Amino acid sequence: MDAILSGQLLAAALVTGALYALTALGLNLVYGTMRLLNVAHGDLVMIGAYVAFWAFTLLALSPLLSLLGSAALAALLGLALYYGLFRRLLDGGKAAQRLEANSLLLFFGVSVIVQNLAALQFTSTPRGFQYLDEVYHFGNIAVTGNRIAAFLVAIAICLGVMAFLRFHVTGLAIKALIQRRDAAAIVGVNIERVQILTLCLGFATASVAGALVSMTEQISPFMGFPFTIAAFVVIILGGLGNITGGIAAGFLLGLLETYGVALTSSAYRSILVYGVFVLILLVRPQGLLGGRRTVR
Amino acid sequence: MKATAALLSILVLAFAALPLGAGDYFIGVGLSVLMYVALTQSWTVLSGMTGYVSLGHVVFYGLGGYVAALAWGTVPLAAIIPLAGIAAFALAATIGSPALRVRGPYFVILTFGLAELVKYIVIVIEGWLGKFSRVMFGAPGLDTLYYIMLALAAAATILTLSVRRSRFGQGLRAIRENEEAAETVGVPTVRFKLLAFGLSAIIPGMVGSVMVLRSTYFEPAQLFDPVVSFSIVTMAVVGGSDDVMGPLLGAAGFVVLSELLWANAPQLYMIFLGLLLILFVLFVPEGMSGKLFPARRRGAR
Repeated sequence: MDAILSGQLLAAALVTGALYALTALGLNLVYGTMRLLNVAHGDLVMIGAYVAFWAFTLLALSPLLSLLGSAALAALLGLALYYGLFRRLLDGGKAAQRLEANSLLLFFGVSVIVQNLAALQFTSTPRGFQYLDEVYHFGNIAVTGNRIAAFLVAIAICLGVMAFLRFHVTGLAIKALIQRRDAAAIVGVNIERVQILTLCLGFATASVAGALVSMTEQISPFMGFPFTIAAFVVIILGGLGNITGGIAAGFLLGLLETYGVALTSSAYRSILVYGVFVLILLVRPQGLLGGRRTVR
Repeated sequence: MKATAALLSILVLAFAALPLGAGDYFIGVGLSVLMYVALTQSWTVLSGMTGYVSLGHVVFYGLGGYVAALAWGTVPLAAIIPLAGIAAFALAATIGSPALRVRGPYFVILTFGLAELVKYIVIVIEGWLGKFSRVMFGAPGLDTLYYIMLALAAAATILTLSVRRSRFGQGLRAIRENEEAAETVGVPTVRFKLLAFGLSAIIPGMVGSVMVLRSTYFEPAQLFDPVVSFSIVTMAVVGGSDDVMGPLLGAAGFVVLSELLWANAPQLYMIFLGLLLILFVLFVPEGMSGKLFPARRRGAR
């Protein structure tokens, strides 16, 4: 019981929560503006993690710097996918009738390809590296430096994106697209430009989350899947297209998972996450499609 | 209709004759083709007809396999297979009524999540029982299992054919095109969707029970492998799910592809799977059967 009440567990939950919040942020933006269901989202986390791993191993570059490279690579992938796959889909035509279902199948294809290319290239062996692993003490809480760094960077990016959406004119255009796509076009928002930007931003933030994750745990080509699921849980919990709600929900899931596992055992971790996932979809289906969509 | 019946009869005869002339390797490949024909045909009863795309059909396959693993040695084979089908139907009926209220892409990710949830629950149960894998001794030979699978594949094909031509099938298509409109003109949508879900689960449950005997080995992570669900969806999309020939083409094509690649380059097989899925969704949404038999497809509408 003491272990449950200690700050140690809370610190772990907050770090996990911040990483979930950052991961889900991009999924929320991409779904909110374009109605694309990116089931390959977790694979962007994997890509970012591998960039950070190789930059550290080969160039001795700090993940806190190479995360810029992670972001750039993911943004490029977003650009390629936009022109290669989704422009056709978003423009209308034969495949656009069932945009969400088709985007899910397309992203699923992308996910399978990306995972297996990574496995082919890097083998499926989990890899890791040691960076900022000295332990800092706050009272009786001990946290490694890399976790503190991951937490701070994740929070900073979440706040930065929120500020961008609130104050910058392009950020406002993104929010306009999330709220009313047709109305946004009427008042002069350049839909295509905003879509491309959002896709790149969404991909880049997920990839940065991956660079941060690589400092704290081992990485592998198939690590993305749990992040995809977690991101979906978070954005459904927080409300689709609701950026602030999504960030709060990221922390909620972090707390839920960490305390749930501490109270039971790690064998139940997957049951817990998938259980929450299934339960939300079952209990609040109207909140997903018919619910009011707000952007705060 | 006559042409379809003739073509299908010839296919059944050809598959029935295969073990007479071929070695164990080719019988094994034939078994895989028949397995995916049975799974994909069953899947189209729900997902092809109603548009409720299930990305978790492996859950019925896995459950059937688990039933067989638990019952093997105490219950005769002739009872295990129907039992597995009943268990799968019961699971579909239980999760169906809440799950089928969820529409579109959310149904897709929900079915995926449900399948994973059941997988991890089975893993924990096996952990409690102190079993981490089970070996089935005295399983029937390859030929026996092959003919059982042929019967299941034929049954699944006849099932989809008869659903397609029935009033029930008309109702399911109406749900796919516009659920509200279907309800307005008197289609009992809730009952129809639930029945379609149940029907699409029975044969996959039976297939799972046969496949666990084929491998003589039960391990939850292997039997509830999401790759099976993905393969079903890809085969149906690439083959075409609006015609009874689609799943046959998709299953045969992918099993041959996997035989060529899986042993040496499993990743390459998965990459092909992804590429074909993307190409067909973008450029050939009606699938191979829609391209090969365009007139038949229009006739079915």
